[in-house]
Amino acid sequence: MPPRSRSLSALALALSLTAVAGACGSNTTDTAATPSTGEGGATVDATPGKGSKAVGFIFVGPKDDFGYNQAAFQGSEAVKKAFPDFEVLTAENVPETDDAARVMEGMIDKGAKIIFATSYGHLDPAMKVAAAHPEVVVVQQGNLIKGTVPANAGTYFGTVYEPVYLAGIVAGKQTKSNKLGYVYAFPIPQTISNINAFELGAQSVNPGVQTYVVNTSAWCDPGKQAGAARSLLDQGVDVITQHQDCTGTITKAAEAAGAMVVGYHADASSLAPKGWIAGSEWSWADLYTDIVKTSLAGDFTGSKYNANFREGLKDGQNPFIESKFGPSVGADVKTLVDTAKTRISTSGSPFAGPVVGQDGKTIVAEGTVPDYATIESLMTVFVKGVVGELPKN
Amino acid sequence: MTAADVPVVVAPKRALPGGVSAGLRWVVALGGAAVIFGSFMLAKGANPFEAFSSMFAALRTDTSLKGIATQSAPLIFAALAVAVPAKAGLVNVGGEGQLLLGGIGATAMSLALGGSLPGGVTLVLLCLAGALAGAAWSALAGLLRLKVGINEAVTTLLLNYIALDLMLFLIYDKWKDANGSGQPVTAPLPVPERLPLIGASGLHAGIFIAVVATATAWWALRSTRWGFQLRVVGGNPEAARRAGLKVGLLLISAMAVGGALAGLGGVVQLAGAEFKLRPGFLVSYGYIGFLASWLARHHPVRVATAAVLLAAIAVSGDSLQLDSGLPAATVNVLMALVLLAVFGWTQHKKVATT
Amino acid sequence: MSLASEVLTGAVRGGTSILYAGVGESYAESAGVVNLGTEGSMLVGALAAYAVASETNNPWAGALAGLVAGGALALVHAYFVLHRKANQLANGLVVLFLGLGLTSLFGASYVSKPAKSFTPWRIPGLGSLPGVGDILFNHDPLTYLSFLMVPASWWLLTRSRWGLLLRAAGERTEVLASYGHSVRRIQYMAVVLGGTLAGLGGAQLAIAYANAWFENMVQGRGFVAVAVVIFAARQPFKVAAGSYLFGAALALSPALQARGYGINQFALDAIPYVTIVVVLVALGRRRAAEAPEGLKKVFEVSPST
Repeated sequence: MPPRSRSLSALALALSLTAVAGACGSNTTDTAATPSTGEGGATVDATPGKGSKAVGFIFVGPKDDFGYNQAAFQGSEAVKKAFPDFEVLTAENVPETDDAARVMEGMIDKGAKIIFATSYGHLDPAMKVAAAHPEVVVVQQGNLIKGTVPANAGTYFGTVYEPVYLAGIVAGKQTKSNKLGYVYAFPIPQTISNINAFELGAQSVNPGVQTYVVNTSAWCDPGKQAGAARSLLDQGVDVITQHQDCTGTITKAAEAAGAMVVGYHADASSLAPKGWIAGSEWSWADLYTDIVKTSLAGDFTGSKYNANFREGLKDGQNPFIESKFGPSVGADVKTLVDTAKTRISTSGSPFAGPVVGQDGKTIVAEGTVPDYATIESLMTVFVKGVVGELPKN
Repeated sequence: MTAADVPVVVAPKRALPGGVSAGLRWVVALGGAAVIFGSFMLAKGANPFEAFSSMFAALRTDTSLKGIATQSAPLIFAALAVAVPAKAGLVNVGGEGQLLLGGIGATAMSLALGGSLPGGVTLVLLCLAGALAGAAWSALAGLLRLKVGINEAVTTLLLNYIALDLMLFLIYDKWKDANGSGQPVTAPLPVPERLPLIGASGLHAGIFIAVVATATAWWALRSTRWGFQLRVVGGNPEAARRAGLKVGLLLISAMAVGGALAGLGGVVQLAGAEFKLRPGFLVSYGYIGFLASWLARHHPVRVATAAVLLAAIAVSGDSLQLDSGLPAATVNVLMALVLLAVFGWTQHKKVATT
Repeated sequence: MSLASEVLTGAVRGGTSILYAGVGESYAESAGVVNLGTEGSMLVGALAAYAVASETNNPWAGALAGLVAGGALALVHAYFVLHRKANQLANGLVVLFLGLGLTSLFGASYVSKPAKSFTPWRIPGLGSLPGVGDILFNHDPLTYLSFLMVPASWWLLTRSRWGLLLRAAGERTEVLASYGHSVRRIQYMAVVLGGTLAGLGGAQLAIAYANAWFENMVQGRGFVAVAVVIFAARQPFKVAAGSYLFGAALALSPALQARGYGINQFALDAIPYVTIVVVLVALGRRRAAEAPEGLKKVFEVSPST
């Protein structure tokens, strides 16, 4: 036995020796090649993102999940189309850990000076990479940078809950049982705000309606999704929606049971031709392209993207848009949706006061219209009308 | 499939003359794995030659080398956690959960101390807490094996899922960072409690701790009375019992030491790389560590080298994605093929004829 | 629907994939081979079933493909364990990794593709019985098939001549060999048969229960199946009881949540696994003593090299 195993050691030793040798070599060349990282780095090259030949995108899941990651991937495809002589690097299934930093570094090695980290949990590794590479623009999708925003970083997101609120209106009008079902993954602010907006939208046209929630503790676990959908249907829920990364299982389960479906992330109406009533989906193309354009021009620092950038109906555009209505939705319901949309676009918000929590306490006072940042910080509790409980913090 | 068909399958082995050198055997095994893997890549429309060459090229970059070193630190611990119990004939598949318990134990300690002690002292206490938590988790499986007779491979596997739920419970609830935008992470470990960096490399000291742990494990298994007795138990528990060894105690201690090592791995990752517990904390490191230990047949030094090797394969998954457009998890195929090759063609075991 | 009947319905619906895998593993373990790669066989079974159902628009073709794929992966385990004398527990995990990698390599493009799946069919008459109608007689065809598979497997394992040979292969190899039977050949059959059933379990998960393919979607069900077989002592009826118990524990979480109970979601998530460990502890010692000799060799002495 010893001789064979020794040869393994020898092999690995040889590997690590070449590795170490390579490390020393590449170290020296690296420092020589990027003077901008030194303290005297006020050279042109140091302008974040300027002159990049490639752009990198990391996704937390597979890029064809019929949901969140697929939408982000389609955004990257739009960038590829807008900048044909650009290399668009994509990496899927990138964990939300320190390993993500390595994948982003690998993209930088391949010439990317603009990086999109597209999941909430990618924020910490993204900030680490941004700190190590002042010449690279690193933007993160959906989370918030606390404190000072570095000159080469930012976060961006749509106001997800606006179209969800509008879809809630449709659900509130279409339901016959007055019970709506919401399958979610984890109790994070982005999810809680969606659930609340959905219920508030439904309530705005149907005061007695309730939203039942079930979680799956996973962004995509079809086995658990099937059980969650089943339990909601057994409670007499006749409209189901979800906040999951992959959406096929729940959509098909609702359709098979004759329930109605409100989509999320992507247009899945083909999976539920009968039950589909409304939905929301991502349209990242314009925002991604504009971020890349701004960065390439060397204008990233100080731009609106060099912050926790949020946009919604009030700003005239929201990368999270309404999906098409289903065949059963009548003109009167569509009018209600249009009216609400106009209200939000001019001065309102789905969370315009009064908003009351499950425990009866006021979350947003009457007459107050909270801004985007305030809403994200308020979303730690469910509103009245949601059936289910959140873990306490 | 019947026994009659089988000789055809074994042909590659039979084709080698009996006295062929061990080195050649390894080359054939690994080469075979590479060829099969290449054919899978071909099936997915990637050019295997280009894919392999860009994998090797990418491995020599600074980023990859740092990545390999960073991944190796917890992985070496995860692998040693398998190797030590294996000496006593135990199969610990619970590295995954024991790593998490290490992170949980250390976080609990850090929160409990609240920065009241100097950073260095706290760091030592974090290691202690993590090791104890990991040891308790694995000793539980050892105890079930001893008292109830359930195989530890099965219980450690099930305990992995429970450990994950425990961590998720804590980070979504009691330990959620109040300044974390509502995300499921703990508050970052205070800077003085983190592992120091090695010079200007940007690498944390975890890899050195792992090397020291490897040497210690090697010494303890080889030169101490405990290590000797462990090997006796692993060789023949009945004989060990007749010789008056406390077999039960030895089995439990082997499991506990394994769990403690995994727990340390969790601490190293927490204090060196992540600084926070988060949902993806060390996912799949436990299983890869298991493979590393079996790849090197549980000899601590070789196990650590195998862990570095598997870390390199894992990191080369980046290149498969960025250069060849293949899914990152494809490297699991490569890992499994390397393992099967080693299991199948580098062992001298006699095959019973029937 | 009442909580009890919802959980029991969920037990059958969610437990069936584990039941297939568990009965399959019972064949393998009766012949003295433990296959932790059952998890992997379920995974390749799930993908093969989904992919073929998607391409052919025929769920039965999918189920067949799942069966074949699960068996093929088990063959890899059988070969390395029986011919190359690899450690059974370790090799099982290696085989799982192979399955994990292969399914992510070839499965990525099927994540977003729709597939024709099995639909529940309420048995006329029986299906309208109060209580049991929903629990037992309103399911997909693969679940009904599992109702037949359990007694058939029980008969095969405990009453048939083939079952006797199988158990002898796990128990008294010398005797079997001296009567001129090939122990290894019987073990091969047992392991591969086990893999095909696990593959069918994966198929049930993908094209009857969840109607989706997603990377690593089996989520430990194969490991649970192996654990169930231990406390069920390789008895198909007891395997069914254990699988349904796990299925019920899985169904409990959404059922309680949908009723607005405020129990921490992660505590609920842990219930199925804690249940299995507790049952193992309660029944473990007795079952361990009953294990066939060949199995004891695997479970009690795992040679370290």
